[in-house]
Amino acid sequence: MRTVFDKLGLVRWLTDPLAIPFMQRALLATLLLAVAAGLLGTWVVLRRLAFFAHAAGTATFPGLVVAGPWGLAAPIAALGAGLGFAGLLARMTRRGTTSADAATGLLLTAALALGTILASDVYESGTAVDRLLFGTLLGLGDGDIALAAAAALAAVIATAALGRTWLATGFDPAGAPALGVRAARGDRLLLALLALTVVAVLPAVGALLVSTLLVVPAATARLLTGALAPLLAGAVALAAAEGLGGLLLAYHLDLPPGPAIAVIGGGVFALVALASSKRQTVS
Amino acid sequence: MSAASAAAASGVQVQDLSASYGSAAIALREVTFTATGGQAVAVLGPNGGGKTTLFRALLGELEATTGSVTVHGTIAYVPQTERSRLDFPVSALDVALMGAYGRTPWFRRITAGDRAAARAALERVDLADRAGTRFGALSGGQRQRVLIARALVQDAHVLLLDEPFAGVDRTSEEAIMGILAGLRAEGRVLLIATHDVEQARGWDRVLCLAGAQIAYGPPAETLTNAVLEGTYGEEIVMLDCGHRAVAIQHHSH
Repeated sequence: MRTVFDKLGLVRWLTDPLAIPFMQRALLATLLLAVAAGLLGTWVVLRRLAFFAHAAGTATFPGLVVAGPWGLAAPIAALGAGLGFAGLLARMTRRGTTSADAATGLLLTAALALGTILASDVYESGTAVDRLLFGTLLGLGDGDIALAAAAALAAVIATAALGRTWLATGFDPAGAPALGVRAARGDRLLLALLALTVVAVLPAVGALLVSTLLVVPAATARLLTGALAPLLAGAVALAAAEGLGGLLLAYHLDLPPGPAIAVIGGGVFALVALASSKRQTVS
Repeated sequence: MSAASAAAASGVQVQDLSASYGSAAIALREVTFTATGGQAVAVLGPNGGGKTTLFRALLGELEATTGSVTVHGTIAYVPQTERSRLDFPVSALDVALMGAYGRTPWFRRITAGDRAAARAALERVDLADRAGTRFGALSGGQRQRVLIARALVQDAHVLLLDEPFAGVDRTSEEAIMGILAGLRAEGRVLLIATHDVEQARGWDRVLCLAGAQIAYGPPAETLTNAVLEGTYGEEIVMLDCGHRAVAIQHHSH
Protein backbone atom coordinates (compact mmCIF):
# COMPACT_ATOMS: atom_id res chain seq x y z
CA MET A 1 0.00 0.00 0.00
CA ARG A 2 2.80 2.32 0.97
CA THR A 3 4.52 1.58 -2.33
CA VAL A 4 1.44 2.62 -4.26
CA PHE A 5 1.25 5.89 -2.34
CA ASP A 6 4.96 6.40 -2.87
CA LYS A 7 4.51 5.93 -6.56
CA LEU A 8 1.77 8.49 -6.56
CA GLY A 9 4.01 10.77 -4.59
CA LEU A 10 1.28 11.30 -2.03
CA VAL A 11 3.33 10.32 0.98
CA ARG A 12 6.17 12.59 -0.06
CA TRP A 13 3.66 15.35 -0.83
CA LEU A 14 2.50 15.02 2.76
CA THR A 15 5.77 14.39 4.57
CA ASP A 16 8.48 16.30 2.68
CA PRO A 17 7.27 19.77 3.71
CA LEU A 18 7.10 18.67 7.34
CA ALA A 19 10.84 17.91 7.33
CA ILE A 20 11.53 21.62 6.94
CA PRO A 21 12.05 23.42 10.29
CA PHE A 22 9.73 26.38 9.62
CA MET A 23 6.97 23.96 8.57
CA GLN A 24 7.51 21.90 11.73
CA ARG A 25 7.13 25.08 13.72
CA ALA A 26 3.96 25.96 11.85
CA LEU A 27 2.62 22.45 12.44
CA LEU A 28 3.33 22.70 16.16
CA ALA A 29 1.50 26.04 16.31
CA THR A 30 -1.40 24.59 14.32
CA LEU A 31 -1.78 21.65 16.69
CA LEU A 32 -1.62 23.87 19.79
CA LEU A 33 -4.13 26.32 18.31
CA ALA A 34 -6.37 23.41 17.26
CA VAL A 35 -6.61 22.34 20.90
CA ALA A 36 -7.34 25.89 22.11
CA ALA A 37 -9.70 26.91 19.31
CA GLY A 38 -11.37 23.50 18.98
CA LEU A 39 -12.30 23.32 22.68
CA LEU A 40 -13.22 27.02 23.09
CA GLY A 41 -14.86 27.02 19.67
CA THR A 42 -17.22 24.28 20.78
CA TRP A 43 -18.45 26.47 23.63
CA VAL A 44 -18.54 29.51 21.33
CA VAL A 45 -20.79 27.66 18.90
CA LEU A 46 -22.97 26.12 21.63
CA ARG A 47 -23.41 29.50 23.34
CA ARG A 48 -24.16 31.21 20.00
CA LEU A 49 -21.14 33.49 20.33
CA ALA A 50 -19.80 32.82 16.82
CA PHE A 51 -20.57 36.29 15.45
CA PHE A 52 -19.23 37.87 18.63
CA ALA A 53 -16.00 35.86 18.33
CA HIS A 54 -15.57 36.85 14.68
CA ALA A 55 -16.22 40.49 15.50
CA ALA A 56 -13.86 40.41 18.49
CA GLY A 57 -11.12 39.11 16.19
CA THR A 58 -11.75 41.79 13.61
CA ALA A 59 -11.91 44.48 16.31
CA THR A 60 -8.29 43.79 17.16
CA PHE A 61 -7.19 45.07 13.72
CA PRO A 62 -6.75 48.76 14.66
CA GLY A 63 -4.86 47.65 17.77
CA LEU A 64 -2.50 45.53 15.66
CA VAL A 65 -1.94 48.42 13.24
CA VAL A 66 -0.84 50.83 15.98
CA ALA A 67 1.16 48.23 17.94
CA GLY A 68 4.35 48.66 15.87
CA PRO A 69 4.39 52.47 15.61
CA TRP A 70 3.46 52.84 19.28
CA GLY A 71 6.04 50.30 20.43
CA LEU A 72 3.48 47.94 21.97
CA ALA A 73 3.61 44.15 21.99
CA ALA A 74 1.07 42.95 19.41
CA PRO A 75 -0.87 40.67 21.82
CA ILE A 76 -1.24 43.52 24.33
CA ALA A 77 -2.44 45.95 21.65
CA ALA A 78 -4.84 43.33 20.28
CA LEU A 79 -6.18 42.59 23.74
CA GLY A 80 -6.66 46.31 24.40
CA ALA A 81 -8.61 46.75 21.17
CA GLY A 82 -10.67 43.63 21.92
CA LEU A 83 -11.53 44.86 25.41
CA GLY A 84 -12.47 48.24 23.96
CA PHE A 85 -14.80 46.45 21.57
CA ALA A 86 -16.39 44.44 24.41
CA GLY A 87 -16.81 47.58 26.54
CA LEU A 88 -18.45 49.55 23.73
CA LEU A 89 -20.71 46.62 22.91
CA ALA A 90 -21.86 46.37 26.53
CA ARG A 91 -22.50 50.11 26.62
CA MET A 92 -24.43 50.16 23.35
CA THR A 93 -26.70 47.28 24.34
CA ARG A 94 -27.24 48.29 27.97
CA ARG A 95 -30.50 50.13 27.39
CA GLY A 96 -31.92 47.45 25.15
CA THR A 97 -32.65 49.91 22.33
CA THR A 98 -29.88 48.46 20.12
CA SER A 99 -29.80 44.71 19.64
CA ALA A 100 -26.55 42.88 20.36
CA ASP A 101 -26.10 41.62 16.79
CA ALA A 102 -26.72 45.07 15.27
CA ALA A 103 -24.24 46.67 17.68
CA THR A 104 -21.70 43.89 17.00
CA GLY A 105 -22.02 44.41 13.24
CA LEU A 106 -21.66 48.15 13.62
CA LEU A 107 -18.53 47.89 15.79
CA LEU A 108 -17.01 45.25 13.50
CA THR A 109 -17.40 47.57 10.49
CA ALA A 110 -16.09 50.54 12.44
CA ALA A 111 -13.01 48.61 13.62
CA LEU A 112 -12.22 47.42 10.12
CA ALA A 113 -12.64 50.93 8.71
CA LEU A 114 -10.56 52.50 11.48
CA GLY A 115 -7.81 49.93 11.05
CA THR A 116 -7.74 50.47 7.28
CA ILE A 117 -7.52 54.27 7.60
CA LEU A 118 -4.78 53.98 10.25
CA ALA A 119 -2.85 51.50 8.12
CA SER A 120 -3.17 53.31 4.82
CA ASP A 121 -3.15 57.00 5.68
CA VAL A 122 -1.65 57.41 9.15
CA TYR A 123 1.06 54.80 9.59
CA GLU A 124 1.36 53.63 5.97
CA SER A 125 1.67 50.02 7.08
CA GLY A 126 1.81 48.78 3.46
CA THR A 127 2.17 45.04 3.01
CA ALA A 128 1.98 44.43 6.76
CA VAL A 129 -1.78 44.88 6.48
CA ASP A 130 -2.10 41.52 4.72
CA ARG A 131 -0.23 39.87 7.56
CA LEU A 132 -2.41 41.53 10.19
CA LEU A 133 -5.64 40.62 8.44
CA PHE A 134 -4.79 37.10 7.25
CA GLY A 135 -1.95 35.98 9.53
CA THR A 136 1.42 34.45 8.88
CA LEU A 137 1.39 30.89 10.10
CA LEU A 138 4.72 30.19 8.40
CA GLY A 139 6.56 32.95 10.22
CA LEU A 140 5.57 32.65 13.88
CA GLY A 141 8.00 33.64 16.63
CA ASP A 142 8.74 31.93 19.96
CA GLY A 143 6.34 34.26 21.72
CA ASP A 144 3.52 33.27 19.37
CA ILE A 145 4.15 29.57 20.01
CA ALA A 146 4.27 30.17 23.77
CA LEU A 147 0.99 32.06 23.61
CA ALA A 148 -0.60 29.24 21.60
CA ALA A 149 0.63 26.71 24.19
CA ALA A 150 -0.76 28.83 27.03
CA ALA A 151 -4.13 29.13 25.28
CA ALA A 152 -4.24 25.37 24.66
CA LEU A 153 -3.41 24.59 28.28
CA ALA A 154 -5.98 27.11 29.53
CA ALA A 155 -8.67 25.68 27.23
CA VAL A 156 -8.03 22.12 28.45
CA ILE A 157 -8.09 23.11 32.13
CA ALA A 158 -11.13 25.36 31.72
CA THR A 159 -13.12 22.76 29.81
CA ALA A 160 -12.40 20.21 32.54
CA ALA A 161 -13.13 22.63 35.39
CA LEU A 162 -15.92 24.76 33.93
CA GLY A 163 -17.47 22.49 31.32
CA ARG A 164 -20.39 21.55 33.59
CA THR A 165 -21.09 25.19 34.42
CA TRP A 166 -20.97 26.21 30.75
CA LEU A 167 -23.18 23.28 29.78
CA ALA A 168 -25.84 23.98 32.41
CA THR A 169 -25.80 27.74 31.76
CA GLY A 170 -26.03 27.35 28.00
CA PHE A 171 -28.75 24.72 28.21
CA ASP A 172 -30.97 26.59 30.63
CA PRO A 173 -29.78 30.13 31.42
CA ALA A 174 -32.72 30.93 33.71
CA GLY A 175 -32.52 27.71 35.68
CA ALA A 176 -28.74 27.34 35.99
CA PRO A 177 -28.23 29.51 39.10
CA ALA A 178 -30.89 27.46 40.92
CA LEU A 179 -28.79 24.35 40.24
CA GLY A 180 -26.07 25.84 42.38
CA VAL A 181 -23.69 26.54 39.50
CA ARG A 182 -21.98 29.92 39.36
CA ALA A 183 -23.36 30.91 35.99
CA ALA A 184 -22.25 34.57 35.96
CA ARG A 185 -18.69 33.76 37.00
CA GLY A 186 -18.58 30.97 34.42
CA ASP A 187 -19.69 33.38 31.69
CA ARG A 188 -17.04 35.95 32.66
CA LEU A 189 -14.33 33.29 32.55
CA LEU A 190 -15.61 32.03 29.19
CA LEU A 191 -15.33 35.54 27.69
CA ALA A 192 -11.87 36.05 29.23
CA LEU A 193 -10.68 32.75 27.79
CA LEU A 194 -12.23 33.61 24.46
CA ALA A 195 -10.20 36.85 24.45
CA LEU A 196 -7.01 34.91 25.20
CA THR A 197 -7.74 32.40 22.43
CA VAL A 198 -8.53 35.13 19.89
CA VAL A 199 -5.24 36.86 20.69
CA ALA A 200 -3.39 33.52 20.40
CA VAL A 201 -4.98 32.71 17.04
CA LEU A 202 -4.34 36.17 15.51
CA PRO A 203 -0.67 35.72 14.48
CA ALA A 204 -1.55 32.51 12.64
CA VAL A 205 -4.71 33.43 10.73
CA GLY A 206 -5.07 37.18 11.22
CA ALA A 207 -7.83 39.46 12.43
CA LEU A 208 -10.26 38.57 9.66
CA LEU A 209 -9.93 34.80 9.77
CA VAL A 210 -10.16 34.07 13.51
CA SER A 211 -13.39 32.13 12.84
CA THR A 212 -11.45 29.76 10.58
CA LEU A 213 -10.09 27.98 13.64
CA LEU A 214 -12.45 29.21 16.34
CA VAL A 215 -15.85 28.65 14.74
CA VAL A 216 -15.73 26.61 11.53
CA PRO A 217 -14.35 23.29 12.94
CA ALA A 218 -16.77 23.32 15.89
CA ALA A 219 -19.70 24.26 13.65
CA THR A 220 -18.77 21.36 11.35
CA ALA A 221 -18.44 18.91 14.25
CA ARG A 222 -21.86 20.10 15.46
CA LEU A 223 -23.35 18.70 12.27
CA LEU A 224 -21.81 15.32 12.95
CA THR A 225 -22.73 14.60 16.57
CA GLY A 226 -25.36 15.34 19.18
CA ALA A 227 -23.18 14.56 22.20
CA LEU A 228 -20.72 16.84 23.96
CA ALA A 229 -17.58 14.69 24.28
CA PRO A 230 -17.44 13.72 20.58
CA LEU A 231 -18.23 17.32 19.72
CA LEU A 232 -15.23 18.62 21.67
CA ALA A 233 -12.94 15.92 20.27
CA GLY A 234 -14.30 16.38 16.75
CA ALA A 235 -13.77 20.15 16.81
CA VAL A 236 -10.14 19.72 17.91
CA ALA A 237 -9.51 16.99 15.32
CA LEU A 238 -11.10 19.00 12.51
CA ALA A 239 -9.19 22.17 13.46
CA ALA A 240 -5.94 20.17 13.42
CA ALA A 241 -6.71 18.38 10.15
CA GLU A 242 -7.90 21.52 8.38
CA GLY A 243 -4.89 23.41 9.72
CA LEU A 244 -2.50 20.73 8.46
CA GLY A 245 -4.29 20.59 5.12
CA GLY A 246 -4.07 24.36 4.78
CA LEU A 247 -0.37 24.32 5.63
CA LEU A 248 0.39 21.70 2.98
CA LEU A 249 -1.74 23.46 0.40
CA ALA A 250 -0.02 26.74 1.20
CA TYR A 251 3.42 25.14 0.85
CA HIS A 252 2.77 23.36 -2.42
CA LEU A 253 0.67 26.00 -4.14
CA ASP A 254 2.45 29.01 -2.65
CA LEU A 255 -0.72 30.31 -1.02
CA PRO A 256 -1.08 32.28 2.21
CA PRO A 257 -1.80 29.61 4.89
CA GLY A 258 -4.64 31.43 6.70
CA PRO A 259 -6.87 31.70 3.63
CA ALA A 260 -5.90 28.15 2.60
CA ILE A 261 -7.13 26.82 5.96
CA ALA A 262 -10.28 28.92 5.61
CA VAL A 263 -11.02 27.47 2.16
CA ILE A 264 -10.51 23.90 3.40
CA GLY A 265 -12.63 24.56 6.50
CA GLY A 266 -15.42 26.06 4.42
CA GLY A 267 -15.25 23.17 1.95
CA VAL A 268 -15.39 20.52 4.68
CA PHE A 269 -18.32 22.31 6.33
CA ALA A 270 -20.20 22.44 3.01
CA LEU A 271 -19.60 18.74 2.34
CA VAL A 272 -20.67 17.69 5.84
CA ALA A 273 -23.75 19.93 5.70
CA LEU A 274 -24.69 18.41 2.34
CA ALA A 275 -24.17 14.86 3.62
CA SER A 276 -26.16 15.63 6.80
CA SER A 277 -29.10 17.06 4.89
CA LYS A 278 -29.12 14.04 2.54
CA ARG A 279 -28.96 11.67 5.52
CA GLN A 280 -31.89 13.48 7.13
CA THR A 281 -33.86 13.32 3.90
CA VAL A 282 -33.25 9.58 3.62
CA SER A 283 -34.16 8.88 7.24
CA MET B 1 -33.64 11.58 51.10
CA SER B 2 -36.45 9.64 52.74
CA ALA B 3 -40.09 10.68 52.52
CA ALA B 4 -40.28 11.12 56.28
CA SER B 5 -37.27 13.39 56.54
CA ALA B 6 -38.49 15.48 53.62
CA ALA B 7 -41.81 15.97 55.41
CA ALA B 8 -40.06 17.07 58.55
CA ALA B 9 -37.68 19.43 56.81
CA SER B 10 -39.58 21.21 54.07
CA GLY B 11 -41.52 24.43 54.24
CA VAL B 12 -41.73 27.98 52.91
CA GLN B 13 -42.50 31.09 54.94
CA VAL B 14 -42.92 34.43 53.25
CA GLN B 15 -43.66 37.50 55.37
CA ASP B 16 -44.57 40.94 53.96
CA LEU B 17 -42.32 40.36 50.95
CA SER B 18 -41.71 43.13 48.43
CA ALA B 19 -39.11 42.73 45.69
CA SER B 20 -37.77 44.66 42.72
CA TYR B 21 -35.19 44.28 39.97
CA GLY B 22 -32.32 46.60 40.84
CA SER B 23 -33.43 50.20 40.96
CA ALA B 24 -36.61 49.50 38.97
CA ALA B 25 -40.07 49.93 40.47
CA ILE B 26 -41.29 47.31 42.93
CA ALA B 27 -42.32 44.22 40.92
CA LEU B 28 -44.11 42.43 43.74
CA ARG B 29 -45.59 43.76 46.97
CA GLU B 30 -47.00 42.56 50.26
CA VAL B 31 -46.82 38.80 49.90
CA THR B 32 -47.41 36.71 53.02
CA PHE B 33 -48.00 32.98 53.05
CA THR B 34 -46.80 29.77 54.61
CA ALA B 35 -46.63 26.41 52.85
CA THR B 36 -45.74 23.33 54.85
CA GLY B 37 -44.49 19.89 53.87
CA GLY B 38 -46.85 17.98 51.61
CA GLN B 39 -48.71 21.03 50.36
CA ALA B 40 -49.09 21.97 46.72
CA VAL B 41 -49.70 25.66 46.14
CA ALA B 42 -50.97 27.01 42.83
CA VAL B 43 -49.49 30.44 42.10
CA LEU B 44 -52.02 32.20 39.89
CA GLY B 45 -51.69 35.49 38.13
CA PRO B 46 -51.41 37.24 34.79
CA ASN B 47 -48.14 37.74 32.92
CA GLY B 48 -46.14 40.32 34.84
CA GLY B 49 -48.20 39.58 37.94
CA GLY B 50 -45.13 38.62 39.98
CA LYS B 51 -44.96 34.81 39.74
CA THR B 52 -41.40 34.81 38.39
CA THR B 53 -40.39 37.54 40.83
CA LEU B 54 -41.68 35.45 43.73
CA PHE B 55 -39.79 32.40 42.49
CA ARG B 56 -36.57 34.37 42.09
CA ALA B 57 -36.94 35.76 45.60
CA LEU B 58 -37.52 32.25 46.97
CA LEU B 59 -34.42 31.04 45.11
CA GLY B 60 -32.37 33.85 46.66
CA GLU B 61 -31.62 35.36 43.24
CA LEU B 62 -33.48 38.54 44.13
CA GLU B 63 -33.05 40.52 47.33
CA ALA B 64 -36.24 41.26 49.23
CA THR B 65 -36.83 45.03 49.33
CA THR B 66 -38.86 44.55 52.46
CA GLY B 67 -40.06 41.53 54.40
CA SER B 68 -38.48 38.11 54.59
CA VAL B 69 -38.34 34.74 52.88
CA THR B 70 -37.51 31.53 54.75
CA VAL B 71 -37.11 28.23 52.95
CA HIS B 72 -36.65 25.05 54.97
CA GLY B 73 -34.87 22.43 52.90
CA THR B 74 -33.27 22.37 49.48
CA ILE B 75 -35.10 24.35 46.83
CA ALA B 76 -35.17 23.61 43.10
CA TYR B 77 -36.57 25.39 40.08
CA VAL B 78 -38.27 23.48 37.28
CA PRO B 79 -38.39 25.84 34.29
CA GLN B 80 -40.72 25.74 31.34
CA THR B 81 -39.28 23.27 28.88
CA GLU B 82 -39.46 25.84 26.05
CA ARG B 83 -36.99 28.02 27.94
CA SER B 84 -34.32 25.34 27.56
CA ARG B 85 -32.11 25.08 24.49
CA LEU B 86 -33.58 22.15 22.61
CA ASP B 87 -30.64 21.99 20.20
CA PHE B 88 -28.11 21.39 22.98
CA PRO B 89 -26.01 18.21 22.86
CA VAL B 90 -27.41 16.74 26.07
CA SER B 91 -29.33 13.52 26.70
CA ALA B 92 -32.15 13.07 29.21
CA LEU B 93 -29.57 11.52 31.57
CA ASP B 94 -27.20 14.48 31.10
CA VAL B 95 -29.99 16.89 32.07
CA ALA B 96 -30.99 14.83 35.11
CA LEU B 97 -27.32 14.75 36.16
CA MET B 98 -27.25 18.56 36.17
CA GLY B 99 -29.10 18.23 39.45
CA ALA B 100 -25.82 17.03 40.97
CA TYR B 101 -23.68 19.89 39.61
CA GLY B 102 -24.24 22.15 42.62
CA ARG B 103 -22.79 19.61 45.07
CA THR B 104 -19.88 18.55 42.87
CA PRO B 105 -16.75 20.70 43.24
CA TRP B 106 -15.19 21.85 39.97
CA PHE B 107 -12.18 19.57 40.45
CA ARG B 108 -14.26 16.40 40.99
CA ARG B 109 -16.03 14.13 38.54
CA ILE B 110 -19.71 13.30 38.92
CA THR B 111 -19.87 10.38 41.34
CA ALA B 112 -21.25 6.93 40.60
CA GLY B 113 -23.81 7.59 43.33
CA ASP B 114 -25.10 10.68 41.54
CA ARG B 115 -25.25 8.76 38.26
CA ALA B 116 -27.35 6.12 40.01
CA ALA B 117 -29.55 8.87 41.50
CA ALA B 118 -30.09 10.37 38.04
CA ARG B 119 -31.07 7.00 36.60
CA ALA B 120 -33.41 6.40 39.54
CA ALA B 121 -34.99 9.84 39.05
CA LEU B 122 -35.57 9.11 35.36
CA GLU B 123 -37.12 5.81 36.31
CA ARG B 124 -39.38 7.59 38.75
CA VAL B 125 -40.70 9.86 36.00
CA ASP B 126 -41.06 6.78 33.79
CA LEU B 127 -38.32 7.74 31.36
CA ALA B 128 -35.62 5.19 32.21
CA ASP B 129 -35.79 3.84 28.67
CA ARG B 130 -35.16 7.32 27.21
CA ALA B 131 -32.06 8.11 29.30
CA GLY B 132 -29.82 8.22 26.25
CA THR B 133 -32.25 10.18 24.06
CA ARG B 134 -31.27 13.74 23.19
CA PHE B 135 -33.34 16.12 25.33
CA GLY B 136 -34.53 18.11 22.32
CA ALA B 137 -35.84 14.95 20.65
CA LEU B 138 -38.25 14.23 23.52
CA SER B 139 -41.89 15.40 23.53
CA GLY B 140 -42.84 18.47 25.57
CA GLY B 141 -44.30 16.32 28.34
CA GLN B 142 -41.26 14.05 28.46
CA ARG B 143 -38.95 17.06 28.63
CA GLN B 144 -40.96 18.42 31.55
CA ARG B 145 -40.61 15.10 33.34
CA VAL B 146 -36.83 15.12 32.76
CA LEU B 147 -36.66 18.58 34.34
CA ILE B 148 -38.61 17.26 37.33
CA ALA B 149 -36.13 14.37 37.50
CA ARG B 150 -33.32 16.95 37.59
CA ALA B 151 -34.97 18.56 40.64
CA LEU B 152 -35.20 15.11 42.27
CA VAL B 153 -31.46 14.61 41.73
CA GLN B 154 -31.00 17.96 43.49
CA ASP B 155 -32.81 16.26 46.35
CA ALA B 156 -35.17 19.22 46.49
CA HIS B 157 -37.58 19.56 49.38
CA VAL B 158 -39.25 22.56 47.79
CA LEU B 159 -39.98 22.53 44.05
CA LEU B 160 -40.88 25.68 42.14
CA LEU B 161 -42.59 24.58 38.94
CA ASP B 162 -42.99 27.23 36.23
CA GLU B 163 -46.12 26.34 34.27
CA PRO B 164 -45.36 22.62 34.13
CA PHE B 165 -48.40 21.86 32.00
CA ALA B 166 -47.79 24.45 29.29
CA GLY B 167 -47.47 22.82 25.87
CA VAL B 168 -48.02 19.36 27.30
CA ASP B 169 -50.48 16.82 25.86
CA ARG B 170 -53.24 15.24 27.95
CA THR B 171 -51.39 11.96 28.54
CA SER B 172 -48.26 13.70 29.73
CA GLU B 173 -50.35 16.06 31.87
CA GLU B 174 -51.83 13.07 33.66
CA ALA B 175 -48.37 11.54 34.07
CA ILE B 176 -47.00 14.79 35.52
CA MET B 177 -50.01 15.08 37.85
CA GLY B 178 -49.24 11.57 39.09
CA ILE B 179 -45.58 12.44 39.70
CA LEU B 180 -46.50 15.64 41.57
CA ALA B 181 -49.01 13.73 43.69
CA GLY B 182 -46.20 11.33 44.67
CA LEU B 183 -43.92 14.21 45.60
CA ARG B 184 -46.66 15.74 47.76
CA ALA B 185 -47.19 12.42 49.47
CA GLU B 186 -43.50 12.40 50.40
CA GLY B 187 -43.91 15.71 52.18
CA ARG B 188 -42.26 17.96 49.62
CA VAL B 189 -43.61 21.45 49.04
CA LEU B 190 -44.73 22.27 45.50
CA LEU B 191 -45.31 25.80 44.23
CA ILE B 192 -46.85 25.60 40.79
CA ALA B 193 -47.06 28.76 38.68
CA THR B 194 -50.02 28.38 36.37
CA HIS B 195 -52.55 30.26 34.28
CA ASP B 196 -55.09 27.48 34.61
CA VAL B 197 -57.66 28.58 37.18
CA GLU B 198 -59.65 25.38 36.94
CA GLN B 199 -56.58 23.24 37.57
CA ALA B 200 -55.59 25.44 40.51
CA ARG B 201 -58.80 24.36 42.25
CA GLY B 202 -57.27 20.88 42.60
CA TRP B 203 -54.27 21.95 44.68
CA ASP B 204 -54.11 22.43 48.46
CA ARG B 205 -53.67 26.20 48.43
CA VAL B 206 -53.84 28.97 45.91
CA LEU B 207 -51.81 32.19 45.91
CA CYS B 208 -53.20 34.93 43.66
CA LEU B 209 -50.74 37.60 42.52
CA ALA B 210 -51.25 40.75 40.47
CA GLY B 211 -48.23 42.87 41.34
CA ALA B 212 -49.26 42.29 44.96
CA GLN B 213 -50.88 39.46 46.84
CA ILE B 214 -54.59 39.38 46.13
CA ALA B 215 -55.42 36.30 48.19
CA TYR B 216 -54.04 33.10 49.70
CA GLY B 217 -55.86 30.09 51.05
CA PRO B 218 -57.70 26.89 50.17
CA PRO B 219 -59.01 27.14 46.60
CA ALA B 220 -62.65 26.52 47.48
CA GLU B 221 -62.69 29.57 49.77
CA THR B 222 -60.20 31.71 47.92
CA LEU B 223 -61.15 31.54 44.25
CA THR B 224 -64.17 33.79 44.40
CA ASN B 225 -65.32 35.99 41.54
CA ALA B 226 -63.97 39.05 43.33
CA VAL B 227 -60.52 37.50 43.84
CA LEU B 228 -60.29 36.31 40.24
CA GLU B 229 -61.35 39.68 38.91
CA GLY B 230 -58.85 41.34 41.24
CA THR B 231 -56.14 39.00 39.97
CA TYR B 232 -56.82 39.04 36.25
CA GLY B 233 -58.85 42.23 35.77
CA GLU B 234 -60.14 42.38 32.21
CA GLU B 235 -58.12 39.32 31.18
CA ILE B 236 -60.84 37.06 32.50
CA VAL B 237 -64.51 36.40 31.78
CA MET B 238 -66.64 34.93 34.56
CA LEU B 239 -69.42 32.51 33.75
CA ASP B 240 -71.90 31.60 36.45
CA CYS B 241 -72.20 27.79 36.48
CA GLY B 242 -74.36 27.47 39.54
CA HIS B 243 -72.16 26.25 42.37
CA ARG B 244 -69.06 28.11 41.29
CA ALA B 245 -67.66 30.57 38.75
CA VAL B 246 -65.80 29.22 35.77
CA ALA B 247 -62.99 31.42 34.57
CA ILE B 248 -62.32 31.75 30.86
CA GLN B 249 -59.16 33.64 30.12
CA HIS B 250 -58.82 35.71 26.97
CA HIS B 251 -55.38 34.25 26.42
CA SER B 252 -53.05 31.90 28.15
CA HIS B 253 -49.49 30.67 27.70
